[in-house]
Amino acid sequence: MSEAIEKTTLIGKSITKPDAPDKSNGRTRYINDMVLPRMLVAKIKRSDRAHAKVLSIDTSKAAAVPGIQAIVTADDTPMVGVGVTKDNPPLKKDIVLSMRDELVAVAGETEEAVDKALALIEIEYEDLPAIFDPAEALEEGAHQLHDDKPGNLSLGYQTVHGDIKQAEKDSDHVLDEVYDVHYVTHVCMGPGCVIADFDTHGKLTMYTQTQYPYNYKMDLAPSLGMHPGDIRVIQPPVGGAFGSKLDVYPFEPIAVFLAKKTRRPVKLFFSREEEFSASPTRQPARFHIRAGVKNDGTLTFRDVDALLNNGSHTSWGATTPFVMMRTFTGHFRVPDVEFRSRAAYTNMPYAGSFRGYGNVQATYVTATVMDKLAEAVNMDPISFRLMNAQKAGEITPQNSKLEECLLGECIETAAEKTNFLEQYNAFKAEQDTPGRYKKGIGIATSFHNAGGAKIHKSDGCGTVIMLDDYARATVITGASEIGQGIDAVLTQIVAEELGIPTESITLVNNDSAIGPWDVGVHASRTTFIAGNSAKRAARKARDQILDAAAQRSNVAAEDLDLRGGSVVQDNNGVPVMKIDSLLRKMHFAGEDAELVITHDYYEPPSEPEGDNHVGDISAAYSHGAYVAEVTVDTWTGVVKVDKMTAVQDVGRVVNKLGIEGQMEGGIAFGIGYGLTEEMIIEDGEVKNPNFRDYKVMTAPEAPELEFHFIENDDPDGPFGAKGIAELPTIIPAPAIANAVYNAIGIRFNNPPLTPEKVARAIVEKQAAKMAAE
Amino acid sequence: MMIEYEEYLAATSVAEATQALANGNVTVVAGGTDLMVQTAASGRGMGTTLLNVRRIADLRGVTVDGGRVTIGALTTITDMLTDGVVADTAPVLAETADRFASNQIRNMATIGGNICNASPAGDMIIPLMMLDADVELSSWVEGAVATRTVALNEFFTGPGKSVKTANELLTSVSFNRPAEGFVGQFGKTGPRPALEISMVSVAVGGVASNGGLTNARVVYGAVAPTPIRASNTEAALEGTSLDDASIQSVLDVADSEVNPISDVRASDWYLRHLVRVMTQEVLESVANV
Amino acid sequence: MSEVNITLTVNGEKRHVSVAPGLSVLNMLRDKLDLTGAKLVCGEGECGACTVIVDGTSVNSCLMYAVELDGREVTTVEGLQKSEKLDPVQQAFVDKGAIQCGYCTPGMVMQTTHLLKQTGKPTEEQIRRGLEGNVCRCTGYTKIFEAVNQAAEG
Repeated sequence: MSEAIEKTTLIGKSITKPDAPDKSNGRTRYINDMVLPRMLVAKIKRSDRAHAKVLSIDTSKAAAVPGIQAIVTADDTPMVGVGVTKDNPPLKKDIVLSMRDELVAVAGETEEAVDKALALIEIEYEDLPAIFDPAEALEEGAHQLHDDKPGNLSLGYQTVHGDIKQAEKDSDHVLDEVYDVHYVTHVCMGPGCVIADFDTHGKLTMYTQTQYPYNYKMDLAPSLGMHPGDIRVIQPPVGGAFGSKLDVYPFEPIAVFLAKKTRRPVKLFFSREEEFSASPTRQPARFHIRAGVKNDGTLTFRDVDALLNNGSHTSWGATTPFVMMRTFTGHFRVPDVEFRSRAAYTNMPYAGSFRGYGNVQATYVTATVMDKLAEAVNMDPISFRLMNAQKAGEITPQNSKLEECLLGECIETAAEKTNFLEQYNAFKAEQDTPGRYKKGIGIATSFHNAGGAKIHKSDGCGTVIMLDDYARATVITGASEIGQGIDAVLTQIVAEELGIPTESITLVNNDSAIGPWDVGVHASRTTFIAGNSAKRAARKARDQILDAAAQRSNVAAEDLDLRGGSVVQDNNGVPVMKIDSLLRKMHFAGEDAELVITHDYYEPPSEPEGDNHVGDISAAYSHGAYVAEVTVDTWTGVVKVDKMTAVQDVGRVVNKLGIEGQMEGGIAFGIGYGLTEEMIIEDGEVKNPNFRDYKVMTAPEAPELEFHFIENDDPDGPFGAKGIAELPTIIPAPAIANAVYNAIGIRFNNPPLTPEKVARAIVEKQAAKMAAE
Repeated sequence: MMIEYEEYLAATSVAEATQALANGNVTVVAGGTDLMVQTAASGRGMGTTLLNVRRIADLRGVTVDGGRVTIGALTTITDMLTDGVVADTAPVLAETADRFASNQIRNMATIGGNICNASPAGDMIIPLMMLDADVELSSWVEGAVATRTVALNEFFTGPGKSVKTANELLTSVSFNRPAEGFVGQFGKTGPRPALEISMVSVAVGGVASNGGLTNARVVYGAVAPTPIRASNTEAALEGTSLDDASIQSVLDVADSEVNPISDVRASDWYLRHLVRVMTQEVLESVANV
Repeated sequence: MSEVNITLTVNGEKRHVSVAPGLSVLNMLRDKLDLTGAKLVCGEGECGACTVIVDGTSVNSCLMYAVELDGREVTTVEGLQKSEKLDPVQQAFVDKGAIQCGYCTPGMVMQTTHLLKQTGKPTEEQIRRGLEGNVCRCTGYTKIFEAVNQAAEG
């Protein structure tokens, strides 16, 4: 008789990421490493003007280069736009609207040949007046950039709640400020790359870095004149994504045009310079915010006007106000609130989606404003926030139902763990004493979707689970693995349900011909939604197995459990039979044969927005409070983050290594946004398209990190888990800015707080002080 | 884009290398860390014969003979970090090497390459100029290797330009072992500690005496078209006992001597500001030594 | 354009390769030898994703000329594992969760291997400085430092 098997859990443990070993020894073939038989390589010739008529394109010399197989321009294409509003034809005709506009694409046998050919393309331009400032674009009489977009207006948003005018009258202090947040870019280590391959039926396979493989087909097909059902999407391993691949961008249909013309697979890829200058950016914005407070510390209103630089064409960046407004209306209790935004076309780079999606920008503003309002009523940053933090059960003006709301607990924990008030007061007292280095401590908070966002017809995910005769499970999910670790999380969830080791599970999620639909990896939805889908499919499999076991034993199904590869008695863990031999019995049962193949499609219980952008858009929300401890070098202006303490409401930790890794990596993005990352764009041209001058965090700069996860078990999340990985990109920057204020008494409404910016401000403050004396 | 070289030579002696240079149309590669980047940026203007000088024996290493320290052109930046003669005679060179790019680049880059690349921000150049170093240039003349010596202070003529002619090979850099009591410091800043092309770099050296320096040397990088000896600043520093007030006076002179221009990395205002604060940092450190 | 014949040792094996003079070691490894572990991320020595070890020293293979490898030894990430078990540095990266998208991993692993040969038990400062030329966008470096520590102990 076998020994009893104890009930254990994998949830909250660390398992190694299933693809990590192959990545550690070079075995993994990323899309950038792939070579297909008879494959051609291709590159794009882009405009070198921000706004111009294209008078002529001469490709004759390029075509004569040995090894060149095809050259395409707009004339060779259906001229159907891609992008969120379909205003972006893959190849441009007659007019270029930005310095990334695609004019010609070349496919050849070698990269060398293609480079030679690109250099021989001759293009004649006639410059047109260029517009770079969205305010200028909206002025009366401004040059129209798109014929069908009068006034250069792209998307606009508005949400109105309560009575701002009255709320302003009821306020004792009103803050009136402008914030400018800047262009940053994803800097994926793996540059943009796609391989287009037609079979002889005319069916297309796209090897792509896309993060949304199913709707991608629908978005791509019209630009190709194809039916979406004739497109197969294969997702090889990628070197990062971070939101940069949630739309269809011109380079992908361009690869298809070349593949169609040559009847050979075509691999089109970006140089690093192109990756910096031609990828979608994070959405920059100018916010004009008016915010009120009563003397007792109660927030009264927020009135926000946002002006977005849409760039030359429209991608997801223009829709970020959708998320921005949730923070302005719903973070902390603010009874009366209005948000309006306009996006204006210009000849600048366009923005896409980027981890944190509008909330990075909005939180920089709200978290700085909260600090300022606290000061206005002589309250410390902690008490002021606690006073205005919502409690469980509150509903925001836009109907985000904060069933749980751990904002207060996050703030209290963060303050306690960092000894916040004592440090804050001590550093404040030191601001004006002599000394080169000044320390500061600052807090910022935010909340974000943690269970998806119902912006499409479905926010669902499908899973299929198959068990073989050896109790090995194949889990086929629609959810994409882009390095974020969903492979480990889903493996753990299924292993937990089926009582089999994680090594027995193979995850398949990279082929749209095999996998069920998923809307995409975005909005911190995947642990929650793909996790629930996998859990439910696994539960169906578990139920089927336990029923079969009950039939073949004297024990009822509800008294059985699956543990350690065996069916056991639930109350004492005594094994009844092994899962694999049961599966074989089920399989070879003649007429009653059954295989265990289950599926599930999980649609989260959220609602799309109705009028006025009201709707409980996510199945779960999450709050976070982060404290930054900094040292400011008042001579050089360099701000060093010594420590970041992150307190976050995560529902339940599934994979300990995974959640920590995502937090640590997200914080690096947040610190970059706040201190060092900045696209320098002059006259529409990106001037720092390289690692030397676009500064992502390097190893010596990584701060000490401390995490406190509040695990309250989300009622709807799989094993209580919910999404976590966007908040760490959202909260650090204003926490750092607030800490810098504590150190040197200077506020910055415009990130990043570069050394030059900080040094200038310090010198100006000293000069003003001396002038006053 | 890869440049199309028509010919490749791997020289194993200075004679072989200088003969190849005399034939013209040559691109020299040593460590290659600057060359690969430059040819990618623009393949034009580079000679179509690639001459690899890395295999020339005897050009790597640091020796001291009498009072003269000689660094072979192929000495890598990592070599400078760990070399015993450097540590003994001019530890400021090791401190500078420690701030240079990254470990991988230090392992490949050579002192000869750093000098010949003639960047106004060239890290190793700055402290070498402070040490009054000379470079040895070799060429093939009438059937034999000829050499000439050029003071490093007179070597640079503009960004990326020097008095070295196309048929010359830089074979070593040397300087007199500093006098007893010599202190030398290097300061460099950029917003990130690593991979940083200097926003501003400064080297200050001299013989410590009376709370100040005699035989003062002040060299700046990245504030002019070439690295510069700030001779007015040296004069202001010379023999001055360093305290808060006198340091500020020296800084004022330094400010008048430098001419940084705004670029994508920083405005001229900030570069000037860095000249002040970096010089102050180095001077305060020297004063405390 | 004439090609140059070089003979070099790659991961312990002698190889004969024909290369154009201007070809980088990185392109030779990836395109001629099908060793795609080392990655082209910046091509300028700014990110370390192409790091390999040449004659016992780590270098950015995107900056090095293939012709210079004649008669020399190069080790890539594919050459570290000597049995069915991963090399201890590779295993440490796996164990500590230091791999997310993994694109920087080959370069990180090679540079870590070099760092540990230079300094058997590096301090935190030495680890940070040793990896200053290797960019990672996913992990924030914390678990990479932990992996280096585990490999140092092993």
